[in-house]
Parts: sequence; structure tokens; C-alpha cells
Amino acid sequence: MNASILARMLRHDWLPLLLMAIAAIVVLALISASFFSNYNLFVMLRILSVTSLVALSQMVTIAIGQMNLAVGAIGGLVAILFGAMLELYGVPIPLAVLAAIGIGLLCGAVNGVLIAWTRINGFIITLAMLSVFTGLNYGITKSIPFYNMPQALKTAYDSYLGPIPMILFIPVLAALGVGFVLNRTRAGRHMLAMGGNPAAAELAGISVTRTLIFTHVLSGGLAGLAGVVAVARLGTAEPSIGADWLLASFAAPVIGGAALAGGHVSVIGTMIAVVLVILLENGLLLARTNPFYVQFFLGALILLAVMFNQWRARRTEARRASGRVVPT
Amino acid sequence: MLDTVESAAGTRVGAPSWGDRLLRVAHAGGLLVVIVLLAGGASLFVPNFLSPFNQFALTRNLGVDIVIGFGMMTVLGLGHMNLALGAIGACAAMAVGFGLQTLGLPIPVAIAGAVVVGALLGALNGILVVRTGLDSFIITLATASLYFGLMFILTRAEAFRDLPVEFSALGKGRIGPYSSYLLMAAIVGAGLIVVFNFSELGRQMLATGANRRAAGLSGVPVNRVTIIAHALSGAIAAIAGVMVTARLASALPSIGEDWLLPSFLAPLLGGTLLAGGYVSVIGAALGAVLLSVLQNTLVLLNVSGFWIQFFLGLALLAAVGMDRWRVVQTQKRGTPGR
Repeated sequence: MNASILARMLRHDWLPLLLMAIAAIVVLALISASFFSNYNLFVMLRILSVTSLVALSQMVTIAIGQMNLAVGAIGGLVAILFGAMLELYGVPIPLAVLAAIGIGLLCGAVNGVLIAWTRINGFIITLAMLSVFTGLNYGITKSIPFYNMPQALKTAYDSYLGPIPMILFIPVLAALGVGFVLNRTRAGRHMLAMGGNPAAAELAGISVTRTLIFTHVLSGGLAGLAGVVAVARLGTAEPSIGADWLLASFAAPVIGGAALAGGHVSVIGTMIAVVLVILLENGLLLARTNPFYVQFFLGALILLAVMFNQWRARRTEARRASGRVVPT
Repeated sequence: MLDTVESAAGTRVGAPSWGDRLLRVAHAGGLLVVIVLLAGGASLFVPNFLSPFNQFALTRNLGVDIVIGFGMMTVLGLGHMNLALGAIGACAAMAVGFGLQTLGLPIPVAIAGAVVVGALLGALNGILVVRTGLDSFIITLATASLYFGLMFILTRAEAFRDLPVEFSALGKGRIGPYSSYLLMAAIVGAGLIVVFNFSELGRQMLATGANRRAAGLSGVPVNRVTIIAHALSGAIAAIAGVMVTARLASALPSIGEDWLLPSFLAPLLGGTLLAGGYVSVIGAALGAVLLSVLQNTLVLLNVSGFWIQFFLGLALLAAVGMDRWRVVQTQKRGTPGR
């Protein structure tokens, strides 16, 4: 009886994660009175507004079995160009946001076209482009941030819709959008098919080249959006934005049950994993530990999560092989 | 990944054909020509390029870059990656600092200890990859964070700065106008040539990289070979970490942060394939030479350090472009069954 409940829950990628997140919230609320304070919740929400986009940006490339090491570099480049548009050229905010996202899409397109055209491993291309985009970023700014962001940007970022902070809409809308693309559109189905088996996808008439480029454009757009939100969050356009996104970008999708080989990602799992990582950081912060513990525990969390996912996959496989009916 | 499938289909198992060998020699030769042209141009047109000071600084950085490239090359032979290379280098640097400053160990013992630490951390990577059957990318990404974190926790991010003078003298050694670090790199390289060209272990590593299943079926202990290759990669990363520590005359926790790009650049420029099954020791060394001369020339030309990263990225793109072209050429000649 108990075993079957457990088994049923294990079949959902994200249920064990959700339980873990709830457990983490309960523990944190018990050990720290300040956890549920408005201030602390808002701090976490601010982190969530950026990290969720970073995770989704990486997740879409994982879906097709690729990686985008340049997520942080695109975010950083877009951030400083966004800052430059606002500070140097006085571009209206909505226009600057659109242009910034456009730059992100363009960066992603460069990645995608280079990979499709040269047929070189996406890992290497995006590693090289990481260096190119970061070099451009620092070459343009000489490492000096744009400090004078319009007040309207910060005000909009911290505003409320009734009782709901506006920034809550960023992760929710982004997740819904990516979920819609992956599950409800032809392009999304092609992405998952290509991730599952590129050769079979090609035989089934899917243009692997087009899907590849589309995915990298989408990833670049999300990374660019993350750069814009990071500028709004910090109130300055710093060249260092994105420099530390690499680990976080892989952590959430992988903890959320994505297979690096492609073909299988979970938007809900990824989003819960982002929350889980933020809770971990917040817990270590509230416990007043040395900030370096975060890196250690994050590494450990990723290892445990991938091992757990692997174990679950093997278990499902073994069940199928032994001919037992897996109820659906 | 898209082209892994493709390159794996055309893997180079067994003895390379003469055409293959010719292409490889041509690749190394081409690299050499590029280096000679670049260095020749730099010595003619860039003031100070040939100055003794610059030659020493250039070759000292070069020695480290070569060793870093070797560290990555060792696992690339398996078709694996080691993103924890920099983290292991940092751990080894702090270990040697701890051994010398806190424990007061003799210099050779402290260095040996640091290399053992590196080998153990590398072996742990290998064990995790073998046990979980997961991609080495995600495992070493996670352990990079784990190792960095652990090192920070243990050292509280405090540098070891009171190292014995004899130790920092290692970073000042000269052979003629050049840094003795070149000799160190040559020793590591010679060791790797022996391993990959003349030992059973090296052949087993490359066979595993070319086709893991086939290697396993023909009796190669693929798991053990994988763990040893990762341990070797960790040990080499540790050597690089110790070299940087001696150069800086202090063990800093930030050592290794910027190794990711050069670690891939040197072997890939040198013709080592990402898909595994083939490495080129000489090529990786030449790749590092090209990288260092390019970097050095840009610095002397007063190109801001910020733009140098941009050019290194372009260099990597060009390098893999050549690699891809080579594979395409090999496939065009398409010996049936290959």
C-alpha cells in the first residue's frame, strides 16, 4: 500500500521535489522567525525573478540535447547594452526592453547558425561564444557599470498589483510561455523529438537545422530577458551580470529531472528546483553560515539529484523489462 | 549532442590509415606554420617581443598553459570532460600552501601531497562518472562547485602568503632566456607521450574513448581505465596549480578560475577530438604555444585585456572549424566501413 503510493508519486518528475521544497519551507519557518517576514520573502522573489529565466534559457537547449554555455555571457552583454541605451541614448524603457530582448535573440541566433552551419559540437561553439560575448561586454564597458538607470525602471520592478508583487509575474509568465511552446506548438514538439533522437526526427521530416536554430534563438531571448531583469533588480547595469550563472543554469533543469541527452525536460520540475536552490541559499544565509557553504551544498545537491533521477530511470526501465504493468 | 553521433559513426578504431596520419602531420605542421608566422611577425613588428623579460614571462605562462591543456586532453581522449580542472588546481594550490606554511613540510613532500590531492579528487570524478553512468559534464560541473566550496570552507578563503623562498624560486628558474616551466611542461608531455603511445593503459584509454562498448567487449576494463584517466587529469591539474602557486609566491583560492577556456583551447587547437579516441600531445603543446604567443602579442600591442578574451573566443572558433574540416575531409575520402 505504502509502496504503491510511493511508486505513484515517483512517476511524477516533480512531486518528490515539491515535497522536498515544502519540507524545506517548514524547516526554515521553524528554525528562523524571520523566514516568513515580508522582507525575506521579497528578497527571495527578487532572486527568483532572474534565476528562473536563466534556468529556462538553459532548459530549452537541454531539451534538444545541447547546451548553451553562453547563457551568462548573453545576459551580461544584453544587460550592459540595455544600460547603455537607457543612460547614454535616453531610449524609452519599453523600447529599450524590446531592443534588449532582440539583442538576446540575435546572440542566440549567432550560436544556432554557427552550430548548424559548422556542425560542430554546441558545447564548443557556445564556449567560444561565451568568450566572444564576454570580451565584447568588457571591451565596450572597460568593466565600468552604467550607474544611472531611470527611477521608473526600479519603481516598476518593485511595484505591486494589488497585494501581488509585479515581479512574481516574471517567473510565472516565463514558465507558462516556455511550457506552452514545448507542449502545445509544433516547434516545441520538434524540439523534444530532436532531443529524443535526432536521426529519427530527421527521418520523420523534422528540419533538425531549423529546430536547432529556433531553440538557440529562444534560449538567447530568455537569457537576454534575464539580463534586463537583472539590471532592474540591481538598479545598475553591471558588466559582471551573468558571470556566475553557469552553475545555476544547469542546476535547476537537471535537479528538475531533465536528461542531458535531451528529449525530456520538465518546466514545473525546473521551476520547483529553482525555488529549492533559492531556499537552500536562504537557509544557509539565515543560519548565518559562511557564504562559501552555498557552493558546496549546491554541488552536493546537484550530484544527489542526478543520482536520484538516474536511479528512478533505471527502476522504471527494469520494471518495463520485467514485463510488469506500469499503471498510467 | 548533434555531431557527437556523427563523429562517433566515423570513429577511428584500430590503426590509423596512412591518409589519417598524413592529415595529422599536416595539422601539426599547419599549426607550426601559423605559430612561426605569428611569432616571426611579432618579433619583427612588435617592440619588446624578443626582449629577455618578455621571453621569460611568455614562456612561464606558456609552461602553465601547456600543462593545463594536458590535464583536459587526458580525459578528452576518453570523450569525457573535466570542468573541475580549475577547482582541482585551486585545491592543490591551497594544499601545497597549507603543507608548506602551516605544516612546515619539506618542499618535495608538500608538492607530492598536493599532486596526490589532485589525483584523488580526479579519481572521485571518475568514480562518480562510472558509478552513475552520467555525463562527465554534469558530474564535473557539480564537483567543481563541491571542491571549490570545500576548499573555501576549509581555508576560509585565506591565502597562504608566507611560503619558503626556495619554493617561490621554482617559479624564477631559467634555462637560457626561457622559464624552466617549459622543462616541467616537457616532462609532463614526455610522460603522456609514453602513456598514450607506448603503454597498454594509453591504448585502453583511447579504445574506450573511440567506442566504449566495443572496448568493453574486447576485454578492456573500461571502468578502471576511466577512473585512472580522471585521476591522471586531476594530478596534472594539481601540477599546474603548484606551478601557478610558485609563480605567484602565494597560494590563492582564486587560482584556476580562468582555466576553462585555455584548457579546451590548447588540445582542440592541437587536433584532439572532443568525441574521444584520439589525442595529440605535441598538438596540445603547439596549441598552447599559439594561444600564449597570440595573447602575449595582443598585450604588447596594448590591446586592452578586455578584448583579449574576445580574440581567444574567435581563436577557439577557428580551431574547431579546422577540426571539423579535417573530419569532413577524412569522411570524403570515405574508406568503406569506416
